[in-house]
Amino acid sequence: MPQLRKDPILGRWVIISTERAKRPKDFPHVESSPVTEDCPFCRGKESQTPPEIFSIKDNNGNWRVRVIPSQSPFLNLNAELWKKGKGPYDLINAVGSHEVVIETPDHIANLADLGEDQVKDVLQTYCLRFKELSKDNRIKYVLAFKNYGWDAGGGKLQHARSQLIATPVNLKRVKEELEGAKAYYNRHERCIFCDIIRQELNDGSRVVLDEDGFVAIVPFAPRFPFEVWLLPKDHSPDFYTVCDRNVGGLARVFKKVLLKIKVLLNDPPYNYVVHTAPFRRSYPGYWATIEEDYHWHIEITPRLTKVAGFEWGSGFYICPTLPEETAKFLAETKV
Amino acid sequence: MPDLRKDPIVNRWVVVNVEEPFLPKDFGVTPFVWKGEKDCAFCNGNEHMTPPEIEAISENWRAPNTPGWKVRVVPNKFPALKIEGDLDKHAIGMYDVSNGIGAHEVIVDSPYHFKGIPELTDLEVEYMLKAYRSRTLDLRKDRRFKYLLIFKNVGADAGASLEHGHSQLIALPMVPKNVLDEVNGAKHFYEYRERCIFCDMIAYEEENGKERIVAENDSFISFCPLSSRFSFEVWVIPKEHSRDFGEIDDSRVKDLAVILKDSLTRLKKVLGEHPYNYIIHTSPVNTDTHASYHWHIEIMPKLSRVAGFEWGSGFYVVATPPELAAKYLREVK
Repeated sequence: MPQLRKDPILGRWVIISTERAKRPKDFPHVESSPVTEDCPFCRGKESQTPPEIFSIKDNNGNWRVRVIPSQSPFLNLNAELWKKGKGPYDLINAVGSHEVVIETPDHIANLADLGEDQVKDVLQTYCLRFKELSKDNRIKYVLAFKNYGWDAGGGKLQHARSQLIATPVNLKRVKEELEGAKAYYNRHERCIFCDIIRQELNDGSRVVLDEDGFVAIVPFAPRFPFEVWLLPKDHSPDFYTVCDRNVGGLARVFKKVLLKIKVLLNDPPYNYVVHTAPFRRSYPGYWATIEEDYHWHIEITPRLTKVAGFEWGSGFYICPTLPEETAKFLAETKV
Repeated sequence: MPDLRKDPIVNRWVVVNVEEPFLPKDFGVTPFVWKGEKDCAFCNGNEHMTPPEIEAISENWRAPNTPGWKVRVVPNKFPALKIEGDLDKHAIGMYDVSNGIGAHEVIVDSPYHFKGIPELTDLEVEYMLKAYRSRTLDLRKDRRFKYLLIFKNVGADAGASLEHGHSQLIALPMVPKNVLDEVNGAKHFYEYRERCIFCDMIAYEEENGKERIVAENDSFISFCPLSSRFSFEVWVIPKEHSRDFGEIDDSRVKDLAVILKDSLTRLKKVLGEHPYNYIIHTSPVNTDTHASYHWHIEIMPKLSRVAGFEWGSGFYVVATPPELAAKYLREVK
């Protein structure tokens, strides 16, 4: 009998249907692309990209991580923000920014294959860009995410990179999570994520690892097979504060989780998204409890199944693997 | 500078690329390669290859599970949910769980392996819609079900695993989140203005230059919504307020068949053979429903891949503005 499980934060139901279960060998894999002469993200090709916004350099002045504006930005900062109504609709102009983080000067595709120091620099870069963008009052949210592999929306060119998108509105999916966390806090006066961590560590069956102040779990009601959440054990609403706390620990654990996924599933396409609290703007009182009720984390979703009409229409997801089983596979994968 | 547009029903923002819009040729849809009808369980004559049928429509009398049908409804061989058993909802610590009670049926649109909806006759599409209606009316008698979702996946990239044209119906023991969002959005609007938001959207489209309207007939209108999530997204909606697809009468089924086929034919002519989904959005059943909801069909061509940004944000980037998409769809022969 399939099981229905409810995500306690969003109230979203998922169907755990193991009878249609696929084995890791049935899932898609990323074909690695050879080093090419025309990769604009490689060392020495800096002139082929728009001028960089930011970089982290080594002692010899060579860049290790580089941030450039997207070549096809759909948001940009060079305009006055306007808002207007149109019949029943609301419109604003697309003020914001769309940046690409080039994670290494070497032609390596998967972040999991970079050194721990390199992963640390990438995370440090996210933090510093968050801090910088937070100074612009028009920006409400910065979304840091990665599309790795064609099926995950990554481009044909395989050079490790991620994206930062700064938006002038709070995003629907983010808002739902904030509202869910706030509703739970109003009822229990506790952070729902802290409660999840506590319950998961007690139970143990969905824990992938618990090291260096971070815990990686397969969520109780995952949307996708082998979905993993990585959370700091200490309560913290804003991702960017990790660079003043324990960015080294995060880099170690993050790389480890990505490597486990790569080894177990033979280099699958994946997305990850950093979920963090928005910048607190306007509405006095609106953010009253956000410091207590929200808890940043990273959601990693291997892209192994196709999302079809059912998922679009319902917001229900069919997960073909048992979370307890996938957590065990991942925990036991040696990296 | 692109536009940010907000969907007034569920408050979802979309980014519309109004500056350098994608034209149909820019999407590079992979050409569809037919695998063929060998061993197809949905073809006429292969009735023994499916579980026994639940219902069928035929023009002449026939015995169940024999050839000669026009539309055939069978249980899904690999159901996501199962119909036997009592509903059991319980908690595990802070989490909620339910056993997987539900129904998962497949509606085989027609006996023809190589025909999509654009290739069927109006009458054949009407039969298919009548099968939808009949199944939704039958399944709602089961009080365990709170929502009946009818949808269609065409092409592997839209999630179809079989190429013979078929639709699916999933009966769920709770109202799914996306439906709740829409129903609550419509209710909220109604409480504020005492009008239906969908009726307002139709009126707005009719009164403002009709630039997003694709086609219309006596009972329906098809248009590209101002805050579309996908390029070439098309909604087919009854002009008269109605919350429940199940209550559609015969003359409107006829009109719906014509406009649904027309919309899908136009999409096919403009975009070529392409993967798509459509979903019937309608009110929940066996639960209190507010009269403010307005049922409709959303057709979503899958021309680009949804990536991390969309998943993480619920924010969509639309490459072709709906005004331009509607123009293409209107003008195609």
